Amino acid sequence: MSARMRAARIALVAVGVAGLVVGAALLVTTVRPSGVVGLGVWLVAALVLHDGILAPAAFVGNRVLRGAGARIPPVVLAVLQGAVVVGVVLTLMVLPEIRAKQLGARNPTVLPFDYGLRLGLLWLVLAALTATICVVLLRSQRTRRSVR
Amino acid sequence: MRSLFLLARASLMSGARHPRTAVVLGRLLGTAFLICFATGLFSHLLQDPLPGTTFLTRPASLYRITQGLHVATGIACIPLLLGKLYTVFPLLFRWPPARTLAGLLERASIALFVASSLVQLATGLVNTYQWYPWPFPFRQVHYALAWVIVASLAIHIGVKLPIITRWWRRRDSIGPDGLLRSVGDGEGDLGRAEPRATGLTGAVQRWIDRAPAAPQAVSRRTVLGAVATATGAAVVLTAGQSLPALAAVNLFGPRQQRLGPQALPVNKTARAAGVIARATDPGWTLTVRAGARTRALTRADLLALPQRRVTLPIACVEGWSVAADWRGVRVADLAALVGAAGRALTVRSLQHGAYSVTILEPEFAADPLTLVALELNGAPLDLDHGYPARLIAPARPGVLQTKWLASLEAR
Repeated sequence: MSARMRAARIALVAVGVAGLVVGAALLVTTVRPSGVVGLGVWLVAALVLHDGILAPAAFVGNRVLRGAGARIPPVVLAVLQGAVVVGVVLTLMVLPEIRAKQLGARNPTVLPFDYGLRLGLLWLVLAALTATICVVLLRSQRTRRSVR
Repeated sequence: MRSLFLLARASLMSGARHPRTAVVLGRLLGTAFLICFATGLFSHLLQDPLPGTTFLTRPASLYRITQGLHVATGIACIPLLLGKLYTVFPLLFRWPPARTLAGLLERASIALFVASSLVQLATGLVNTYQWYPWPFPFRQVHYALAWVIVASLAIHIGVKLPIITRWWRRRDSIGPDGLLRSVGDGEGDLGRAEPRATGLTGAVQRWIDRAPAAPQAVSRRTVLGAVATATGAAVVLTAGQSLPALAAVNLFGPRQQRLGPQALPVNKTARAAGVIARATDPGWTLTVRAGARTRALTRADLLALPQRRVTLPIACVEGWSVAADWRGVRVADLAALVGAAGRALTVRSLQHGAYSVTILEPEFAADPLTLVALELNGAPLDLDHGYPARLIAPARPGVLQTKWLASLEAR
């Protein structure tokens, strides 16, 4: 490792440790102890939720798709996987919005749309788009194979 | 335990889980985090200025731009973070978890980094829905976590710097065959060949491996393509709440630009602020004071003063913004009535609670665009937009554009 690299690494870690001290000081001086404890619970819950549920679910989903798609060309499978990722990520972002609206917005200009309906429409459009792309890809592959 | 972790790591390996992919996603996410931090710090300083700070008042839409960028970039971070975590997920199952104290500290800092980022993005998003289902105050924790996140980012970059520089450039990462180069010693933990498991775990692994894996290039492009599409979709389908050009595809934004009384959304209604009686009182006056000099102006008095027309945005901390036409009296003209030209002003609202008393710094008080607005988009202010009079100034957050004015006092 070059001396410059070593100096840069030490500087970055030192800046980082100083920043952590600032963050911790802000937290204990502006948030009541019960709030700090609550935040701690949320931080741990976030790790458990991601590492224990979301990521394994993504792995299993991927394995199922790969298993089911054993006979489809990899490119087509990739398009399917991409579409599922896009749909799931947007769903994760919109579900709390639907819930917040159910609980009651503070006034009619907050959360004005029917987000459940819109999410459903998004999945429909996504499915139609994905199907179109897959059909085009499969056709072009078949043409190539028959030419060969 | 060891073989379980081995199994997890081996099964999770795929062509896309490679240091190069981690670097490509990591530098995008790191840049996005820094944009969020800088724009967030700016917003924080506007609301809690350090002594002696002077703010820019131009461009008039400065805050609209910085805060719109803050929220749109924060939204973009969600798919980017999930993609980055997907790429490095096998590293969770290193065995032994740490060999040295430094290694243990590094893993602890990663845990803090990941947890803070997840909580920050989730609560930030849900805050824009005006829903607060957590046991801590949003604003203070959002600010403190921002420091924790950029600090952890600096530590993470410091620790990984040799790997980051190794895989930074495309030509050093991808061979002439179009495939990612294999990972050598000291070039990262992802993408290395894993020892095979035996016994029961080996059987499980053989079952997992039976599903065909995509060629490496396809796998890598799938991950990058999916993350890019999800990021683009999340931003494009929400940014219409602040960008007029995207208003037509504002599918999931929590606000619509021209939806509300007088074509402007409302954050707090007069009813919610508990000001209806005082705001509609015919005896209402705006008090302007500097020391012993005081003027009490009725709405008719204000309307009799020279009226100015300005186009200024309302830009909320929650990210939505919309430009509007305002008509009213210059704050500088009002301050001059009591000999307070060029001074900072304490602005009081008829409402109580947070932001009912704010400071208007001299640069904003003296600005010719800063008005005590009486009309909005061609009609008298709606009660929910601050009737009988509200403040409107360039380049300031919406929470500081005080509605239902009671007094302006020189400091």
